[in-house]
Amino acid sequence: MDGSEARKTKIEVRNLTKRFGDLLVLDEISFNVGEGEFLSIVGPTGCGKTTFLNTLSKLIPSTAGDIFIDGEIADPKKHHLSFVFQEPTCMPWRTVRENVAYGMEVKHVPKVEMEKKLDQIMGMVGLSDCAGLYPNQISASMLQRIAVARAFAVNPDLLLMDEPYGQLDVKLRYYLEDELVRLWEHLKSTVIFVTHNIEEAVYISERILILSNKPAKIKAEVKVDLPRPRSLIDPRLVEIRKEVTELIRWW
Amino acid sequence: MVDIANEIKQQVQERRPLTLAMILTNRWFLYGVSMLAFFLAWDMAAVARVFSSGLPRPYEVVLQLWRMMFDPLAGKSLLGHIWASTQRILIGFTIASLVAVPLGLMMALNRYVNAIVKPLFDLLKPMPPLAWISIAILWFGIGETSKVFIIIIGTFVPCLLDAYNGVRLVEPELYDVIRMLGGNRRHEIIQVCFPAAFPAIFAGLQIALSIAWSCVLAAELVSARSGLGFIIILGMNLSRPAMVVGGMVVIALVAWTMSQLVSGLERFVCPWKREIDSR
Ligand SMILES: Nc1ncnc2c1ncn2[C@@H]1O[C@H](COP(=O)(O)OP(=O)(O)OP(=O)(O)O)[C@@H](O)[C@H]1O
Ligand SMILES: [Mg+2]
Repeated sequence: MDGSEARKTKIEVRNLTKRFGDLLVLDEISFNVGEGEFLSIVGPTGCGKTTFLNTLSKLIPSTAGDIFIDGEIADPKKHHLSFVFQEPTCMPWRTVRENVAYGMEVKHVPKVEMEKKLDQIMGMVGLSDCAGLYPNQISASMLQRIAVARAFAVNPDLLLMDEPYGQLDVKLRYYLEDELVRLWEHLKSTVIFVTHNIEEAVYISERILILSNKPAKIKAEVKVDLPRPRSLIDPRLVEIRKEVTELIRWW
Repeated sequence: MVDIANEIKQQVQERRPLTLAMILTNRWFLYGVSMLAFFLAWDMAAVARVFSSGLPRPYEVVLQLWRMMFDPLAGKSLLGHIWASTQRILIGFTIASLVAVPLGLMMALNRYVNAIVKPLFDLLKPMPPLAWISIAILWFGIGETSKVFIIIIGTFVPCLLDAYNGVRLVEPELYDVIRMLGGNRRHEIIQVCFPAAFPAIFAGLQIALSIAWSCVLAAELVSARSGLGFIIILGMNLSRPAMVVGGMVVIALVAWTMSQLVSGLERFVCPWKREIDSR
């Protein structure tokens, strides 16, 4: 399970296990993520993807196993973790710009640096025009972009994304996926992106982990060694998509 | 391409040429029609003596109010009586909200405070505030204190409940966001709980305000030498319906003005709510 020979290992997950009472949801999951890698995790609906991210990020305690960041046990107070949740999570009382700035505020980023970073990120995700608006004045897709921008803005050691574009229509999703890849290429964050959409995973990531049905285990690993920008109709991409689909169906 | 993802919700106003149908269905026009119909019906009922001499004509009410502006009743002009009632409300309402809102917030944030206050509160909550009038007079006499006391009792409950619920109903995901970004409990309280609770607190204040008017009125009806409730009782004792109805109208006007002031304050404190309100 090592898809990052050339890279320094950034994240190490060891035997991560989670039970809710008798219900075993995560079954000894182990893998590594390289520095600056874009890793996707695909699995069927309800297999425990959200639970996986929540334990990984320490939002809920794990039953066993641990996560190491740069060799140290992960701790949200010490490491910079970012999470883009399945649902948009903006604070209604903050303007778009203040929402994006929120993470940096908590982390006490100096004012000047913060403003500079804000201008950069807001420009990259196309939020500059509505910086002064409140969340109830903008559309659902823009709310999710606020969350993405907020997550990238803190230069996270690890960025976790839980099907952020699940509810959006196809056209918008392609557009935001491109935007996400652009952000990642510029800011060089380490990303774990969870989805049940195989095409999305193949299109954006460098490596894909496939989870089995509940209890979730890593069933297979697929590398996506395609140059960018990618095209959805590239035969190589279609080939990989078929491969992943087969792996998911085969239990 | 950028456009597909950049969509801002805006209210668009369509311009159409003015037609008769448009005037007839215009909101303001209909408001006017309904008002006019009401006053006409009232006037006709008064002229026809439906309630024998118990219902004054609208213009008689206006006249009566005008007279009261200049001829003092029990040593106070109409404005003096308005101020007497308003002052009682302001004092009681301020005391109650300054204690109840922080207490409600603390109950929602700290389960020990909750465990201590909640049973007492649940015990006293079902008692209608007006049930306290007699005991208040026995305790504090018929002066200002007993009236303010009744108002405090009446407004305490909605202030506390709404502040409490405002915090309890915060979307839990927002806490996750903060914890994820490395924030602590203080961040959660100041950055999320308080702003999230503001709209609910204001809703509670609005309810409290209308209860305060009921309370002050009831207290003044029972015993007072000033205030709008006093004017109503005096009008009844003197058999002057114009005075009674005049008192009622003034109460409605003053209460409406105060609730508008609270709404204005809310728009100032919670600017993000503006878009939702202005429908
Ligand atoms: N707090 C909890 N207590 C008990 N069981 C839970 C809890 N949270 C999740 N589960 C169970 O764990 C399993 C996995 O849930 P999870 O939400 O992680 O799935 P998911 O892969 O994210 O699903 P989706 O694709 O719908 O987002 C489900 O069977 C769910 O019932
Ligand atoms: Mg999920």
